[in-house]
Amino acid sequence: MTMRGKARCRGWLFVFLAALGTSAGSLPRNVHAEVSFQEIEESLTCQCGCGLTVHSCNHVDCGSAIPLRKEIREQMSLGKSKEEILAYFEAKYGEKILSAPVARGFNWLAWLMPFAAVGAGGIVVFWTVRRWVSRQRGSRERESTEAAEPMSAQEQERLRAELDRFDA
Amino acid sequence: MSWSDSGAVALAAAWLLAIYSVAASLWGAWARREDFVRSGQNAVLAVWAFTLVAAADLVRALVGRDFNLEYVAQYSSSTLPLHYTVAALWGGQAGSLLFWLLILTSMSAVVVLQNREQNRALMPYVTATLMVVAVFFASLLVFVTPPFQRLAFTPGDGRDLNPLLQNYWMTIHPPSLYLGYVGCSVPFAFAIAALITGRLDDVWIRSTRRWALFSWFFLSLGNLFGALWAYRVLGWGGYWAWDPVENAAFMPWLTSTAYLHSVMIQEKKNMLKVWNMALVILTFLLTIFGTFLTRSGVISSVHSFTQSGLGPFFMGFLAVAAAISVALLIWRLPALRSENEIDSMLSREAAFLVNNLVLVGIAFAVFWGTIFPVISEAVRGVKITVGPPFFNRVNTPLGLILLFLMGVGPLIAWRRASWVSLRRNFFWPGLLGVLTGAAAIALGTGNYYAVVSLSLCSFVLATIAQEFWRGTRARQAMLHEPWATAFVRLVAKNRRRYGGYIVHLGVVLIFLAITGSSAFRVEQQVTVKQGETFQVGSRTLRFEKVEAWETQHSAHLAAHLTLIDGERTVDVLKPEKRFYKKPEQPATEVAIRSSWGTDLYVVFGSYDQASQTATFLAYINPLIGLLEWGGLVLAIGAIVAAWPQRVPAIRTVAAPESGQRVVPAGK
Repeated sequence: MTMRGKARCRGWLFVFLAALGTSAGSLPRNVHAEVSFQEIEESLTCQCGCGLTVHSCNHVDCGSAIPLRKEIREQMSLGKSKEEILAYFEAKYGEKILSAPVARGFNWLAWLMPFAAVGAGGIVVFWTVRRWVSRQRGSRERESTEAAEPMSAQEQERLRAELDRFDA
Repeated sequence: MSWSDSGAVALAAAWLLAIYSVAASLWGAWARREDFVRSGQNAVLAVWAFTLVAAADLVRALVGRDFNLEYVAQYSSSTLPLHYTVAALWGGQAGSLLFWLLILTSMSAVVVLQNREQNRALMPYVTATLMVVAVFFASLLVFVTPPFQRLAFTPGDGRDLNPLLQNYWMTIHPPSLYLGYVGCSVPFAFAIAALITGRLDDVWIRSTRRWALFSWFFLSLGNLFGALWAYRVLGWGGYWAWDPVENAAFMPWLTSTAYLHSVMIQEKKNMLKVWNMALVILTFLLTIFGTFLTRSGVISSVHSFTQSGLGPFFMGFLAVAAAISVALLIWRLPALRSENEIDSMLSREAAFLVNNLVLVGIAFAVFWGTIFPVISEAVRGVKITVGPPFFNRVNTPLGLILLFLMGVGPLIAWRRASWVSLRRNFFWPGLLGVLTGAAAIALGTGNYYAVVSLSLCSFVLATIAQEFWRGTRARQAMLHEPWATAFVRLVAKNRRRYGGYIVHLGVVLIFLAITGSSAFRVEQQVTVKQGETFQVGSRTLRFEKVEAWETQHSAHLAAHLTLIDGERTVDVLKPEKRFYKKPEQPATEVAIRSSWGTDLYVVFGSYDQASQTATFLAYINPLIGLLEWGGLVLAIGAIVAAWPQRVPAIRTVAAPESGQRVVPAGK
């Protein structure tokens, strides 16, 4: 890869990381009276096997979600921040209680891979299309030099219009 | 224990004949013995007939309450209603595999009958591939989880079907999904046959276009039915939890959607041969991966009732299928290289490539999130959870890009779009999109994603409307037809194109449902005494009383809630708590009142008899009704696109090679 290519790649990477930052900062939020309580509920996974967050689990007398909710309220009453409360739960129950991987260390891979894959795919598509476009130009030029009588601009325009009509 | 029923015998016969079919087809192709090829194909019909006998025998045992059969005792009971008793065929492990095999062999039989006179060079390998898959499923049924296993004694009654499965959706969600999953095997078999024979032209693609659309149609419906089931039955107010098994059904849908788009480029320009081949293979592998996820229990899931020790078998099959397909693809790479040329970055070809990138990107994100817990445990030894917050955060931006492309793709010209045509096609839709976004902000929508989504939805709706409008106007002007005739003929004469637009319309409605119900949802948990009222959003509900009753099958406790508007009673909602007797299991029955696409959704949480207080979870889910409408529109669109169109017969006069019939172009 040329230096210019490398610089452009770094540019792309920057754009994509910036986009990731924005997307992480503007999560969809539910309209709710107790935002922080619900946020914490949604950050924790119910351990009853339902696979849902503590907020979503509605099992009758759930042995996991109900005590966890009580515990969240207790922690909130101590005046802790969301991060402190989540840290408390993580320390007590292990990392699997968190409903999404915390963006640190190895877990970064979880968050970055999808965007990295789409980003890398995007670069591949971009370069491929560029190559195909230039190949097309090349062959068109070859054809026009080979042609005994080159088409006039008017004829080319007419041909293109006809083809467009045919393709549509 | 013995299992000497007619069903078990039929199953063993199906297994043997499937092996014979593979061997005869391959030998026939190798030795150029058409008689063996034909025999292999006839064997497919026999495999289908024997599988049908086996499935019918299991249904007979279920309906006849033959509790000596382990499967019947496990998944039904004497009080189970008839339709659920029949549905119990796919309610348990062995039965669902048998059902899968039945669909696979039925489709294989149709393929064989369709291709008696055509695709003769491809057919031996198509047959062999389909039957290899059949042998795999039949082997599981014969050796690992036989559905006709008898018990040493006959229990008085069965343990009954899981109460969560005793539901209307149970009768339609699994069959749709299975039809979708299994349908992916047919294009896969043709792709493999094309790779082996080196006949990499358009024939395999044209022969499987309808199959691809068919399986896509049922995958779409299967996913939607699953979502509606979760919403109406599980009672947590949502419809999609990014559960591994939901993801398993969603991933092949994504790659198959990508294929349906990119295949158009191959048909038009003979490009992307490798990519299309890869998508077909990937889609098939994902259906097997999905089954592996469901059965293996490697990743915990709400569908854990289907868990079993079958995981390693599916993993093995998946690995072998992947290795063979990839090897074939690499072997044929030189022949698949096409003279790829694109006129311009601003062309539909380029837009479709980006669409494919995003669709496959979402599929990858879903795949990655689903398996990341396993990777984390393997690398760090730490169990972690990758739940809905992860998938929502990663997929929302990608989904919005896709929505945008759905508006752009169909309107950007093939080959090369001029700035004039871009302005002409995008001015009004673009303006409408911007105005919608501005209106959403002005009305106080604080959610950035919701604004973008609403804006894009109206942009795409406008592009679709504009296409129908222009097409109809053009026919009116040129052929002097009345507008209704012009409209109907416009669609009827260009079914693929306008069917596609109708599908897009359905997808926009689904996007609107997702946006409304996730961004503007209101939820309230209340504990109230009898006679007290409570608010949820702008609605007022009064808790009137509790009613209890019992049936042979279950005990019920229903709360009566009146929806009041001032002094007027608008409706009475009756959410229930149920207790099933066999197996003893509590369940909730949600009360839903829909009006104009917005649902008032009430769950009866708990009840304390002494204090006569009840706890309710009440939700207002705006626009969620569009989920069903979107599904319906999407289905109609897919049917329009797949409906056979009479093509003016353009028959090439050429000597048919080895019995190959010349197919009219455009078929």
